[in-house]
Amino acid sequence: MVMSVPKPDQSIDLRGTPCPLNWVKTKLRLEEMQPGALLAVVVDDGAPARNVPRSVETEGHRVVETTRLPDGVRVLIERC
Amino acid sequence: MEQAYFDHAATTPPREEVVQAMTPYLRDRWGNPSSLHRTGTRALEGVERARERLASLIGAQPEEIVFTGSGTEADNQALIGSWVANRHRGNHLVTSAVEHHAVSHTAAFLESLGARVTYVSSDEFGVVHPDAVGAAIADDTILVSVMHANNEVGTIQPIAEIGGICRERGVLFHTDAVQTVGHLPVNVSDLKVDLLSLSAHKLYGPKGVGALYLRKGAAVASFIHGGAQELGRRASTENVAGIVGLGEAARLAQQDMAAESSHVAALCHLVLREVKARIPGVHLTGHPTLRLPNNASFCISGVEGEALVLDLDEAGFAVSSGSACSSGLLEPSRVLLALGLSPLVARGSLRLSFGRANTVAEVERFLEVLPQIAERLRKLSPVSAC
Repeated sequence: MVMSVPKPDQSIDLRGTPCPLNWVKTKLRLEEMQPGALLAVVVDDGAPARNVPRSVETEGHRVVETTRLPDGVRVLIERC
Repeated sequence: MEQAYFDHAATTPPREEVVQAMTPYLRDRWGNPSSLHRTGTRALEGVERARERLASLIGAQPEEIVFTGSGTEADNQALIGSWVANRHRGNHLVTSAVEHHAVSHTAAFLESLGARVTYVSSDEFGVVHPDAVGAAIADDTILVSVMHANNEVGTIQPIAEIGGICRERGVLFHTDAVQTVGHLPVNVSDLKVDLLSLSAHKLYGPKGVGALYLRKGAAVASFIHGGAQELGRRASTENVAGIVGLGEAARLAQQDMAAESSHVAALCHLVLREVKARIPGVHLTGHPTLRLPNNASFCISGVEGEALVLDLDEAGFAVSSGSACSSGLLEPSRVLLALGLSPLVARGSLRLSFGRANTVAEVERFLEVLPQIAERLRKLSPVSAC
């Protein structure tokens, strides 16, 4: 069975944006979105790929999936 | 009696929403935005939210906003930073004869360091013509700086046209938009500017904070060193509460600008029509139509502007004059002289700049009082005997 990949309502590319600015920009974008909406965020691998999903969950949102890209990590977030 | 405040070009009262937005950042969210811990991140949120709001107001990307300590600092960074970063390309700057001192004194400072500066004249309405700017651009010109609207007479400059010429010639273009941001629609793409200065306290925000729009890719050197704040473009721990206040002021301006503009324009129209009708020897200054909606400026011949300001203060009105007493000599405004006014007329300058809280009743009271004060001062003034 092929699982369908959820389509994000919005996306932001935060590669090159350091911690914690990448999380702050993610949070500000989530604040503008409706509950249930999906935000795709692309961050650098390493510390950003660990810190942003952790902060997302600490803040009460849901990490739907994390996908490794050739030059970064895509985090799909459900705004809760 | 509460003083009627007609001096919004000097500064504006912070709006209650601005004070409310700032207060948590003075009490609870006092962290350093550069810190990696959550205390710091909570402060950083305020800074970045403000950056997004301000960017939205002027049609910029958030990363193109550099928060500064004032509009004056933003002007200094624009001119000095452009000169430092582009000296290998040239040594010439073009500006106008009617700029605020934040630009004209900075240009003079650069001249003292060896830069060559051309000051383009305006016409009698204070308009700096694009053709004149184009003619002043030379092969070694690195920056043109022309204000968006004049702080004394309110004339709005043809910035988009000047910007188009600068783009064609490959020259950086800066505008001091301290008097316009929050009062007129300002879009950096439409205006074709590379750099734009603004100040929070001119749009109902706090003092001590401004911003420089710095177009992505524009070569401008850092001006204050010693930290990586503002993506390395302006060192120093951020004035978090002030920046939050600027962001809130920007949000409110975007929401209320059209209604406020219409309100203050009606007050200006009333004043300019009536002072001309009620007081002999009144000369309206600035452009008749291309002007800030809140600025009513005029000269009353045979009267000293400073005396007018002081007597109006006594009578319950806060206004300003371009003339100021310096070492016992009444100095007429250099901007008014640049418009071709005689020193005698320019000494009697008065500037009213209205805001959202001003009322028709206040203006009508002013129109009752001003003719009496002008008549009395004319009898007393040594200027009237000239």
